[in-house]
Amino acid sequence: MRTLILMVRKDLIRKARAPLGLLVVLAFPIMFSAIISMAFGGGSTPQVYLLVENLDDNLLGKALISAMSSEQMGEYFDVEIVGEEGLSRIEDGDASALLQIPENFTESIVEGKPCSLSLVRNPAQGILPEIAEQVSLVLTDILDGGSKVLREPMDALAPYVLGDSLDMNAALVSNISVAFFDAFEGVGKYLNPPVITLSSMSVGAEDAEEEEEDEGGAGVFQIFLFVFPGISVYALFLVGDLAMRDILTESEAGTLRRQIQGPVSPGRVLVAKAAFSASVAFISLIMLTLIGWIAADAPIDLLGYLVLSLALILAVVGSAAAIYGAAGKLQRGAVIASIVYLFLAFSGGSFFSIDGMPGIIRLIAPISPFYWGTQGYKALLGQGASLADILPSVGVLSAIGIVLLILGGMLLNRNLVRGGGA
Amino acid sequence: MFQVENLSKRYGEIHAVDGISFQVRAGEVYGLLGPNGAGKTTTLSMLSGVLKPDNGRILFDDIDLHAEPVKVKQQLGVVPQETALYEDLSARENLKFWGGLYGLRGSELDQAINKTLDRVGLTARAKDAVKKYSGGMKRRLNLALGLIHEPRLVLLDEPTVGIDPQARVNILDVVRDVAKSGTTVLYTTHYLEEAESLCDRIAIMDHGRILAEGSLDELKKQAGEEETVTIEGNFEAELVRAKIEAVSSVRLLSAEQGRAVISTGGSGEGAVKLLESLFGADLPMHGISIRPPSLNSLFLNLTGRELRD
Ligand SMILES: Nc1ncnc2c1ncn2[C@@H]1O[C@H](COP(=O)(O)OP(=O)(O)OP(=O)(O)O)[C@@H](O)[C@H]1O
Ligand SMILES: [Mg+2]
Repeated sequence: MRTLILMVRKDLIRKARAPLGLLVVLAFPIMFSAIISMAFGGGSTPQVYLLVENLDDNLLGKALISAMSSEQMGEYFDVEIVGEEGLSRIEDGDASALLQIPENFTESIVEGKPCSLSLVRNPAQGILPEIAEQVSLVLTDILDGGSKVLREPMDALAPYVLGDSLDMNAALVSNISVAFFDAFEGVGKYLNPPVITLSSMSVGAEDAEEEEEDEGGAGVFQIFLFVFPGISVYALFLVGDLAMRDILTESEAGTLRRQIQGPVSPGRVLVAKAAFSASVAFISLIMLTLIGWIAADAPIDLLGYLVLSLALILAVVGSAAAIYGAAGKLQRGAVIASIVYLFLAFSGGSFFSIDGMPGIIRLIAPISPFYWGTQGYKALLGQGASLADILPSVGVLSAIGIVLLILGGMLLNRNLVRGGGA
Repeated sequence: MFQVENLSKRYGEIHAVDGISFQVRAGEVYGLLGPNGAGKTTTLSMLSGVLKPDNGRILFDDIDLHAEPVKVKQQLGVVPQETALYEDLSARENLKFWGGLYGLRGSELDQAINKTLDRVGLTARAKDAVKKYSGGMKRRLNLALGLIHEPRLVLLDEPTVGIDPQARVNILDVVRDVAKSGTTVLYTTHYLEEAESLCDRIAIMDHGRILAEGSLDELKKQAGEEETVTIEGNFEAELVRAKIEAVSSVRLLSAEQGRAVISTGGSGEGAVKLLESLFGADLPMHGISIRPPSLNSLFLNLTGRELRD
């Protein structure tokens, strides 16, 4: 036990010396939720009125537009496809923002050339263009990540996407699947500078800071509570990811190996790292809780909150252990984690309430631990639920956590520790 | 006190360590001397319990490492070839962690930290984060971390590689100091001079095997009474080979483009004949040196290669 405390303490000190990553992750749910609730809080729900000028009539341009105007986005976005007149309409204050998809968008992505989406904001509309920008940024990130990870498969696909021929024979399909596999194998290049970027600018005078802090009050908090739990659950998974990543950092620095040369068993080192991840997740959870507390208006079932949080932490640590154990390498693990978490967060309703989503999404949501975490917290914070009401969430999260923790422990042990941590 | 029996490790086709056996006696400095790729690090990895041998046994005071790893590892100090430090922590914090891991507490730990810092000359910089250290300072701390708990046996893997001469002298002094205080040392190196000046006994290792073992004197005896003559110049290996084979009672130990080493066969007569034929021959030479029997000539005798950096 003493050794365990010693190891966790050492890691916590190290984290405290280099806390930037953690702070960014923690700031994210707070800012995101605050922005959304400020925008939608206070009675009416103003929509972001987004103009899209698409100069790319190839596949990805269309895909982007359909993403923007999808049902889920429709909750917040009104999308209108415009031509050249878009810019002048923004200047006239006609809409919140204008998203321009450049002419060679699909081609650039498929060929791996840098390209830039641009967003022209209308500052007169206060927070709304901000939201448009945040969402566009997220989309840009996803596209950028996807285009890098899938570089090789896209090279294989390029002739078919860019040309008109759609001659999908068996050989081609197998080529492409091999290429996708390779892509996930060689994702190290992922950490290169972005291929797709978002450039943003404002038009018109900055003078028009308009009426937006109307009645607000309870409405703001309600929206906050609606959004915050989901984003926080997502952030907690990222926190666990950051902490678990440390075992690979130590493996690369040689300190993992050095610990195993000391009078401790490899299993002890892994348990210590899991305990460290859990501690960091716990500290983060407390910080997020304090914020959620301020917003909550009904009394919260403390026991339920605590039990759910412990189950969630178990799931967080288990997921991270499984991902890094399977990946075996720091960079690969980081890429896989970010993709898996984004996917789970979207499908689990962390970002957008799944109530309004198509049936298929609601059907697959329960495979995501994010779903159970989000539902549990929403029930506790917003609906005054008790421990008994959220037992399904607690059960599923604990089960996922335990299974993944065991699996991840075995994988980490095999891939890192047995190899001497080298 | 430390006994290695028939230890082997393969990496695919490579026999990194190929059935070696040796004993390290309490209190001695035992050297594993071998060129790059000889299998020194692989051996130490097995001795320190992070790499599982394919074959063989490792006994520490008759306790099997495999059977009771934690108990044995508690007695060892390990200094890896690559520095392994927490860069965000200070030297003192690093020492505190590793000391604690080996069970030191409280004032005992504090004393050990101060003593070790002093030993490696890092007291003045003890509070700085390691990432601000120079390469030589990191190496010294790397050494310190293996010594903090005053192990009974310390395994050192080429602790002087890649540092400036001054830091090297400092590290060698520390190792001598450690040995003098009664700690047993297993020291790997590919520097002849280090092995000669530091070690009580030396094992010469190449291709995963121990080719010769003994004290410096014993090894020199094995090298025989033969002086070696090294010539350097602008010649092909084949040319030298032909010339030397014509001279009776001398032996060509190694020949490569521009450099050859020849044994005189231990007789003054052989040396004279050799020199005569060398000067008589049409060899474009620009250097010649005659050396007494040494570890290098033994290594040459055994492997046909020179032990050079
Ligand atoms: N993880 C590994 N996988 C495959 N081969 C390895 C591995 N580690 C070492 N080897 C091989 O085993 C042999 C011995 O390597 P080792 O590192 O033990 O040598 P060494 O004597 O420490 O060399 P150096 O002086 O360069 O440190 C080499 O041929 C090396 O290529
Ligand atoms: Mg080595």
